[in-house]
Amino acid sequence: MSKREVLQGNIIAAKAAIAAGCNFFAGYPITPSSEVAQYMSKELPKLGYDFIQMEDEIASLGACIGASLAGKKALTATSGPGFSLMQEHLGMAVMAEIPLVIINVMRGGPSTGLPTKPSQADMLQARWGTHGDHPIIAVYPAFSDEIYSETIRAFNLSEKFWTPVIILMDEIMGKAHEDIIIPEVKDISVIDGVEHKLDDDLNIYDRQIGEIPPRVDFFKGYPIHIDGLEHDRHGWPTIEPDLVDKMQRLRMEKVYTRLDEIIKFKEYYMDDAEIMIFSFGVSARSSLAAVKALRQQGIKVGLFQALTIWPFPERELKDRFKRIKKVLTVELNMGQMKIEVERVASDDVQTKALLRANGIPFTPAEVMLSVKEFVK
Amino acid sequence: MEKFERQTNEEALARRAKKKPSPKKNEITTVLSYCKGCGLCVDICPTGTLQLEDNIESKFGVSIRVDAPEYCIGCKMCEQRCPDFAIFVNYEEKDKQ
Amino acid sequence: MRDYEKYIRYRTFPTPWCPGCGDGIVLKSIAMVFAEMNILPDDIVVVSGIGCSGRMPTYFNTNTLHTTHGRALTFATGIKLARPEKMVVVISGDGDATAIGGNHLIHAARRNIGIKMILINNGVYGMTGGQVSPLTPQNFITETTPYGNIEPKFMASELLIAAKASFVARETVVRPIQMKQVIKKSFEHKGFSVVEVISNCHINLGRRNKMKDPMSMCDWIASRTVTQTEFDKLTPEERNHKYPVGILFEDKERLEYSELYYNHLVPAAKAAAGKKGAEEK
Repeated sequence: MSKREVLQGNIIAAKAAIAAGCNFFAGYPITPSSEVAQYMSKELPKLGYDFIQMEDEIASLGACIGASLAGKKALTATSGPGFSLMQEHLGMAVMAEIPLVIINVMRGGPSTGLPTKPSQADMLQARWGTHGDHPIIAVYPAFSDEIYSETIRAFNLSEKFWTPVIILMDEIMGKAHEDIIIPEVKDISVIDGVEHKLDDDLNIYDRQIGEIPPRVDFFKGYPIHIDGLEHDRHGWPTIEPDLVDKMQRLRMEKVYTRLDEIIKFKEYYMDDAEIMIFSFGVSARSSLAAVKALRQQGIKVGLFQALTIWPFPERELKDRFKRIKKVLTVELNMGQMKIEVERVASDDVQTKALLRANGIPFTPAEVMLSVKEFVK
Repeated sequence: MEKFERQTNEEALARRAKKKPSPKKNEITTVLSYCKGCGLCVDICPTGTLQLEDNIESKFGVSIRVDAPEYCIGCKMCEQRCPDFAIFVNYEEKDKQ
Repeated sequence: MRDYEKYIRYRTFPTPWCPGCGDGIVLKSIAMVFAEMNILPDDIVVVSGIGCSGRMPTYFNTNTLHTTHGRALTFATGIKLARPEKMVVVISGDGDATAIGGNHLIHAARRNIGIKMILINNGVYGMTGGQVSPLTPQNFITETTPYGNIEPKFMASELLIAAKASFVARETVVRPIQMKQVIKKSFEHKGFSVVEVISNCHINLGRRNKMKDPMSMCDWIASRTVTQTEFDKLTPEERNHKYPVGILFEDKERLEYSELYYNHLVPAAKAAAGKKGAEEK
C-alpha cells in the first residue's frame, strides 16, 4: 500500500530510477547530487544490481554506456562541473544511439561556482554542450511527485528512442526533504527497449525517417560493431557523403518528428490569461505561488510549466501566443530559455524576463512584482 | 623522371642460395586483394621463397610473389607475421593453427 | 578455413593500417588466441580507444566497440561489471592509454577488474600524423618535437605493476609466436591483465628517425629487446634503451573485481537487508 513519506529529492529520483528498471549506476560524488550515488550504493547491491564509484565523471559515463550496451539500464548523477566533463561521452551515446539517463542537479556556475546554491544555468548546455549536430531529450521536474514521474518517464523515453535522456534538477529540489506518495508498482508503466532480430546483413541503424533504429545490444548472438565514428547501417565507420547525410537525418528526425511522444508540460490558470509566465523547476514553484496570489488580486496571469525542456515546446507556445501577447520568462540564470521564448514569439508578443544567477531562488513576491510591472 | 623499378630482395636470394628445395611439397595461398606489399614475409622467410613485384592490378601497386615455391619448408612464419591475412601456408590442411 | 578466421570480420577488409604496420600482426595473434581457447565469438567483446590501434575492433567478428580517446577501460569496466562471465578485451595505443587515459589505467589495475588489455606501444601518435607520446624514446624527432624529444619516456608495464595490476607482460611484434603465447596466458588470467606490445610505426615515427621501412624498424625493436634477467644486470642509463620482455609480474591469488562484487559484496548487502527486515517486523 502506498504511504506518504518525507524524502529528499535526490532520493526520490533514485527510488524512481530503480522502479523504472535501473540496474546499473556508475557515478562520482559531486555536490549537490551525491545522495543519488550514496542511495544507489546501498540499494543496488541488495537487489544484486551493479554500483560502482568511478574515478571521474568521464569514466562514469563510459561505464554507463558500456553497461547499457551489455543490456543494463544505466544511470549516473552529477552537477555542473561533472556535466561539463560528461559532454564527450554524451555525444557518443547520441551518435551510437545508446540509451542511458543522466541526472544533472544544477548548481551555481560557471566553473566551480556555488556548489551549495541552486541555479538553472545549464539549460542551453543540456541542448548544445556536446559538439556536433545532435538531438537531445531533457526533462525537468519541479515538484516532488514530478521528480518521481519524470524520472520514470526519462528512462522510458531513453529506452523507447535509443538515446540518452537528461534529467535536469536543481539544488533546491535535490536537497529539500518533501512529502510524497510513492505510487504503487502496478500504477507505474515501464518501457523496455525493443528486442530486434537481425538477419545476415546485421543492419542496426538503417530505417525510415522517424523510426527507431533496429539496434540490438551486445551478447545477443550478433557480432555487432558500435562506433563513435560516423557509420553505415552496420555500425562500420564510413565517410561516404550520402550515408553520412542519411545517418545525421535519421538521428535528428528520430526525435524531432515524434514531438507528441516527448513534449510534456503543465498549465495553470491559462484559459483566460492575458500574461503568461514561462518557467520550469524551482522557478516554476515560485511562479505558481505568485500566479495563485495574483489571481486573488484579479490579475489575469497564467503559468506554462515546461516539463520537457528539450525538444523545446515551440508549437505549444506558438499556439498560446495567438491569444496571449505578454510572456514573462522566470529563470535562475542570466537569460537562457528566454532566448528560445523570444525566438518563438511572434512580433506582436511582448517578451520580458525575470533573471538572476546569484544562488538565491525567486520568492513568489518577486515574481508578483515583475508581473505587476508587466501589466502596466 | 626515372621510372621506379622494384629491386629484388637480395638478402632473400642469398638465404635461398644456402638451402636446397624442400622434400615435402608445401602449398602457399596468397590473397592479392589484401596484400599491401610491405615485405615482412619476404624478410622473415628462412629459405628466401618469396619476393615482391610491382602489380598494377593491386590496390597498393605491389604484391607478393611466390618466387620459388619448391623451397617452402612449411614453417608458416610468413603467415604468422603477415599483418593483412594475405598469405597462408597449406591452407587446405585440417590441422589447427 | 583456418579456425582463427572465424574471429575475423572480412567484410570490412582491407585494414586501414600502413603496409608493414605491427597492428595487423597483433590482430592476427589475438584471433589465433581466441581460436586456441575456443571461445564463442558472441562471448567476446573487443573495446578500443582512438588511434591506429583503435581501429582494430572493426576487424574482429565478435561484439566490438570503438570508444572515445583514452576511455576504453571505463566502457570495458561497465561491460565487465554488467556481464562478468564474458571476455572483455581492450585494445589501446600508447598515447590513448598512458596520456589521456593514464588515470583509467591506474584504476582498472587497482580494481583488478577482469579486463584483458593489449597496450600497443609504437611510441607515437601515429593516426594524427606522428606527434610525440609519453612513450616516445628520448631524443626522437616527431611532428611536435622537431628539435628532439626532451621528455623521458616512462615504462608503462612497470607503472602497471606499481598500480597493482595482477598480470603484466611485455612482448614485441618482431616475436609474434612468443607474443601470441603471452597473450594467451594473459587471456587465461582472471584479474586485470596487460600485455604491452612494442610495435613499429615506420611511416610516422621511424621515417623521421632513420627507419623508414618496416624491416629496419623491426630490427631496431629486436635490438632493444632483452629478457628480464638481462635487464636487471644493466646500468640505469643502459636500461633507458632496452625493453624487458616476457611475463613481468603475475599474481594469481588476487580476487577479480566482479568476483569480489558478486560473491562477497552482494551477499553481504542482501544479508544485511534481510536482517534489518527481520528486525523491523
